[in-house]
Amino acid sequence: MNIQIDFTLNGRAVSIDAPAHVTLLRLLRDYLNLTGTKEGCAIGECGACSVLLDGRVVNSCLVLAPQVSGRDVMTVEGLAPVEGAMSDLQAAFVKYGAVQCGYCTPGLVIAGEALLRDNHFPTRDEINDGIAGNLCRCTGYQQIVDAIEQTARQRAAAQVKE
Amino acid sequence: MLRHTTNWVTKPANRVDGPDKANGAAKYAGDYRVPGQLVTRALRSPIPHARITRLDTSAALKVPGVLAVITSDDFVDHGRFGFPVADNFILAYQKVRYVGEGVAIVAAVDADAAEAGVNAIELDLEQLPVIEDMEQALRPDAPVIPDVVTEGSKKGQPNVCLTQIVRNGDPEPIIAASPVQLDQTYATPFQEHAYLEPEAVLSIPNPDGSVIIYACDQSPFNNRGIAAAVLGLPEDKVRVIQAIVGGSFGGKDEGVYQMSAQTAKLALLTNRPVGMVFSREESIIVSYKRDASKIRVRLGADKDGKLQAAKVEAWLDGGAYSAETVLTAWRAAMHLAGAYTYQAVTGDVHVLYTNNNYSSAFRGFGNTEAVACIEQAIDEVAEQVALDPIDMRLKNIIGKGDRTMTGATLNQEVGLRACLEWVRQKSDWDRKRREFPAQNKNARYRKGIGVACYFHGMGLGGEGVDFANATIAIERDNSVTLTNGLTDYGTGARTVFTLIAADVLGARPERIKVLLTDTETAINSGPTVASRASVVGGNATRVAAEKIAQLLTFAAANLFKCAPAQVLRDKEAFIGPDEEPVDFDTVVNHARQLGYVLSAHGRWQLPVIHWDFEKGTGTPYVGYTFGAQIVEVTVHTGTGRVQADRIWAAHDIGKVLFPEGAYGQLYGGITQGLGYGLMEEVEINHGYIHNVNFDDYIIPTAMDVPPIEATFVEAPFHLGPYGAKNVAEPSMLGVAPALANAVYHATGKRIRELPLTPERVLLGHALHNDDHGDNSRLWLGYADGLRKVRITQAA
Ligand code: FES
Ligand code: FES
Repeated sequence: MNIQIDFTLNGRAVSIDAPAHVTLLRLLRDYLNLTGTKEGCAIGECGACSVLLDGRVVNSCLVLAPQVSGRDVMTVEGLAPVEGAMSDLQAAFVKYGAVQCGYCTPGLVIAGEALLRDNHFPTRDEINDGIAGNLCRCTGYQQIVDAIEQTARQRAAAQVKE
Repeated sequence: MLRHTTNWVTKPANRVDGPDKANGAAKYAGDYRVPGQLVTRALRSPIPHARITRLDTSAALKVPGVLAVITSDDFVDHGRFGFPVADNFILAYQKVRYVGEGVAIVAAVDADAAEAGVNAIELDLEQLPVIEDMEQALRPDAPVIPDVVTEGSKKGQPNVCLTQIVRNGDPEPIIAASPVQLDQTYATPFQEHAYLEPEAVLSIPNPDGSVIIYACDQSPFNNRGIAAAVLGLPEDKVRVIQAIVGGSFGGKDEGVYQMSAQTAKLALLTNRPVGMVFSREESIIVSYKRDASKIRVRLGADKDGKLQAAKVEAWLDGGAYSAETVLTAWRAAMHLAGAYTYQAVTGDVHVLYTNNNYSSAFRGFGNTEAVACIEQAIDEVAEQVALDPIDMRLKNIIGKGDRTMTGATLNQEVGLRACLEWVRQKSDWDRKRREFPAQNKNARYRKGIGVACYFHGMGLGGEGVDFANATIAIERDNSVTLTNGLTDYGTGARTVFTLIAADVLGARPERIKVLLTDTETAINSGPTVASRASVVGGNATRVAAEKIAQLLTFAAANLFKCAPAQVLRDKEAFIGPDEEPVDFDTVVNHARQLGYVLSAHGRWQLPVIHWDFEKGTGTPYVGYTFGAQIVEVTVHTGTGRVQADRIWAAHDIGKVLFPEGAYGQLYGGITQGLGYGLMEEVEINHGYIHNVNFDDYIIPTAMDVPPIEATFVEAPFHLGPYGAKNVAEPSMLGVAPALANAVYHATGKRIRELPLTPERVLLGHALHNDDHGDNSRLWLGYADGLRKVRITQAA
């Protein structure tokens, strides 16, 4: 049975009909054609499907679509200031070699963004802890931690200037 | 000789596909959405070994929404394929040989219809005895798994697919006469590739009866060859485009070829696009693994620890189909006794059939297994002669001009000694080796430090002719388009090609676009395996770029009215004798006015070497990479938990062309090695895989990876572009044995079976779970009892 789901997606109001049992991940990928969010396990173990729900990271494979009614969802496609560009954190991922096959990247960028909003001066240990729910098979995480750490520094420096 | 400086190669660079991957725009095969696209569901075997006595799909075709159903009967020669041994099928034919093997595929308008279609298929299976391990495979009364005549058939052991050998003198009498001897057997586990992207393909039929396959494959040309053969089409009617691949590590060959041929057939039958996307469980149950191995190492040394001779025999569990394990075994054989000099060495690597899924390529390709074992054995000998493990290695490692274990003379610069010395110094090895044992007395947490080193043959070696093709064209807008027959499945190869082309042409990397590998636009370059993309693909790119660079130099000389040799380059600028620089666009436009055709093809091939497979002698590789790794651990004696505290790694990979990429490969490889050493093991009980998702199959998270201090020793390699070698595979080799050696240093327990799980560290053996296939059956769709699969005992 289809129901109507109204929510905010990457800053825009959307209204979509979908079966009540589909997950947010399926809703994004199959009903809204936003394929940046990936499926790696569908059981909440890999973090490839991470999105921000009201500013907090969730595994979208574990959220039922109707649960986001009236709430705010941000996906990897919504992080950049303008569509198709990159946020500072996304650019840092590229610069510091944190992207290899890239399949984990959308989820890790989301997890990194959530971490940086909570903690403006994370240590490397705190970053490791913050991204422990996101598996990456390619990079060994070192350059991902570099990218998040450097973005924190840049943001702090930018704030001091203001 | 063309004049150019290195402006981009070896300098910091951004991965060319980085931005699209970081902002979510990159399309993987499962991300494509085509109008009218059908979905698929598979009927898969619920048992490890059986004869197919009846298969009737007629009822499935009547299910609303189902448009086609295929079985092995829909393919030429029942879809038989496989290289070097053609023992595999696109869908099971006559028998099923492992749990999860595909029997029939349904294409339908949606998942519910496809599932209903699968439930309507009638399949009768007559159970056959199951070969659960390698000992059973060797028994004289064992049921025969393959339907081809194997090497072992002649010796009464038909489940021995073949044996790869090395014959370098006769080690037996030397070992017997050696004052120090070792005879130990080691074991390594099945490992899951665990690429984060589960397999996906999409096939689109064309009006002229041809088909396009978007696939997450490693080697599109191999895929095309197999698909064309089993579909009965000429190769030019099958176009394979490599989508962006979400990790592979050797894992996206045969299984993805099956999916490609299956969806292509369904697309041609229905005249609709057909997508197939695996769930994680389907991926782990159905896809091939790194082989599990047992390796018996016999070594002889003198009293000072100088190695004299080695006799090594290995058994690889290849599972139900031989796939590339035949080649894995060859590479294992070439490295079995490690990076040391000996008077004599023999090696024998047997590939066995069992009903344990099947094995094929995985990063390191046999050398991972070999290093895991020999590097523990070397530590065991060092202890017998009371030598420090690094001193033991320094005493025995190969250098330029030495004979390797296969008997070939090493004719290249060797950075291995420098690697060992670097990790020794950086890790404060000597102090820690001395002090940890004293600190550990009666401690609950014990510290240890261990080392391993390796050599790794470059390219295909005796596995095949090693060539690549590249094309370059300068487009109308003066951008540059590159193709390469070798592919990038996350390794950064496209970036390496871009940097080389930029440097040779003197064109900013931003101008250059590397196309995804497409069998219609790129030129066949053989399989993308064995970390050969940088050297072979890189050289092909260089050759093509040099042809265009020469034309541009001619055009500039014409413009400057000087001799070509007088034209100098500074990044994009051309500088003539009057020193007034002219930009790239001007020269390109002038070249066009002169009528020059600004496109070129480059082919490059490694020198041909010869290995005699029958005799086990010859030159296996044109060159080697080297490396050494040290791991420091803490072992909790109460729980057996091993924690890696720090890792030091030094690798001689020749000139580093793309530093961020090379370090990324290094860290990633080390992390896979950490998983292999500590936690990763595909548990197969009675033919059923127990750990079918990331809740049970645990790979390292950011919390498991300790700080890694790494360096590259850049011993130049005469055949590589700019002196480069390769890094993708070798980076994982030393970690697992270094861990085992560190655990021994910490606890005094030698655990000769990987991974070093708490049970093995505490009890000395693994604990077996009692899953008799519930997980597999659940995820293969058998839980609700709706499948019409009848299983009977053989009469
Ligand atoms: S797909 Fe959601 S956590 Fe893996
Ligand atoms: S970059 Fe491949 S999984 Fe992270």
